[in-house]
Amino acid sequence: MKRPREVFYIGLFDSLPILRDPMLMIVISLFSFLPVLFAYIFAPQPQLAMQTIVGAIVLSLGFIGLFIAQSVYFYKYWHRFQDMFVASPVSPLSYAMGLAFSTLLGAAPATVVAFILLYLQVPYSVLALLQVLAVTVLFWLSMVFIGYTIGAVTKNTRRANSLPQVLGIVLGFLPPVYYTLDTLPPFLQPIALLIPSTNAAQLAKYYFGLISISTFEIVFGWVYLIAFVIGMGLVAVRRAHWVDP
Amino acid sequence: MDVVAVEGLGKTYPGGTEALKDVTFQIAKGEIFCLLGRNGAGKTTLLRILATQLKPSAGRATVLGQDVERGAKAIRGRIAVVPQEARPNMMLSAWDHIRLMCLIRGMPRAAALARARKVMEELELWEHRNKLTADLSGGLRQRVILAMALVADAEILFLDEPTIGLDPLGRRKVWAMVRKLARDGVTILLTTHYLDEAEKLADRLAIIDKGRLAFLGTVQGAIAKAGMGTRVVVEPVAANGNGREVLSAKTDAEILAVVERALREGHKVTLKPTSLEEAFIQVVGGSIDEETS
Repeated sequence: MKRPREVFYIGLFDSLPILRDPMLMIVISLFSFLPVLFAYIFAPQPQLAMQTIVGAIVLSLGFIGLFIAQSVYFYKYWHRFQDMFVASPVSPLSYAMGLAFSTLLGAAPATVVAFILLYLQVPYSVLALLQVLAVTVLFWLSMVFIGYTIGAVTKNTRRANSLPQVLGIVLGFLPPVYYTLDTLPPFLQPIALLIPSTNAAQLAKYYFGLISISTFEIVFGWVYLIAFVIGMGLVAVRRAHWVDP
Repeated sequence: MDVVAVEGLGKTYPGGTEALKDVTFQIAKGEIFCLLGRNGAGKTTLLRILATQLKPSAGRATVLGQDVERGAKAIRGRIAVVPQEARPNMMLSAWDHIRLMCLIRGMPRAAALARARKVMEELELWEHRNKLTADLSGGLRQRVILAMALVADAEILFLDEPTIGLDPLGRRKVWAMVRKLARDGVTILLTTHYLDEAEKLADRLAIIDKGRLAFLGTVQGAIAKAGMGTRVVVEPVAANGNGREVLSAKTDAEILAVVERALREGHKVTLKPTSLEEAFIQVVGGSIDEETS
């Protein structure tokens, strides 16, 4: 019970400011829901509007995962809490997990609202919900690893703040997350599939019954997401140091 | 019994900066050991290596009998750190910081709350417990950081410039607390730029200069090593600083001779024993000419 307790209290330590002032949760929710709003107004078919809700789920979690960069940076270079935690019984894994789980709080309202909205439009099974959760958690985890690496290696406050935002836009709005893959010209589609958010969104849309994709695309999506998580995890472990070299 | 042992310790950062070279010393249990040095001398590097936050690149260091690299895990539960320039989270209260630090370190809930309250009362933070740290003065914020380390009930405390930003009364309160902790058997390794702080607190001190150990011993030892003797300031009574003469006297006979001559001539005489600050400047190769001329 010692390690889960550490994770919980580090997560609480990191998320208390958001709980006290939930503005960040509102900002993230609005940010991910803006395209949904536009799609509802301008989309020619309701099916396309549904896809933007799935996009909101994927992006909310991915975007908030990247924001771990700020906690990691500020705890290491500004507050210097990381130094205090290193010189304590806290394990580096508990520290990383505590900060990671606290990010989920920021995405919680947007994600819950999106799941409810989607259920009201296209009722889905528990299995579909679990499959979508698995996909989005994998994507969130890969973004957490990227964010952790950014926070640990950058020594520049502005970069620690702006890089997650830029990456959130590049990974969330440019690839087919809010819109369908076949909207892209054929030559761009394979390139889009090299972006993890595309695979996460494709799989989520498929499990909610909004699109149909081949078995190869399903397998490719899962393998790609798992490989991406492992790859980013390795980068984070290599670049983020508990004990400085 | 030595609780810290450093032997031939060196640190070269990945960029090639050599921060520590061949440093050797020991610290006994319950000792207040001060690390002095100019900015960038290597004090924080040394403290961070001993607190298991930074890897050494040469030599060996043990804390509580454990190697700082191989036995880091065993050391960490028994130490606590006040990092240099640490800042509390402005969105959290003093109580949040200190209570959660106890809980994160694994204390049972009831014990954590009692310990947090006790330390906050000792540091006179209790009345400010529910204020956000954004609403606290700089000195109170620094006390919050100190309290986060003190709640650990550690065997060794590493304090990197712990009284920076505190007013004179606040500093004295921390000094009293440090002395009490040492009396209770806690070993304190403290870096500071306040030489009066080291003079008041240190059982022993080390002066680090450009990564090397320039002096190791007591405050009196450092003053004696500087070999500056007592300065005798002689000045005409109503001179307003004009005609001021500063003489350095190394023996009692020399002092007596200067004083007799000055009094015969109707001058005012002030004896100024060498301070640690002057000894420090002498050891690190600086100059105090500007002040004395």
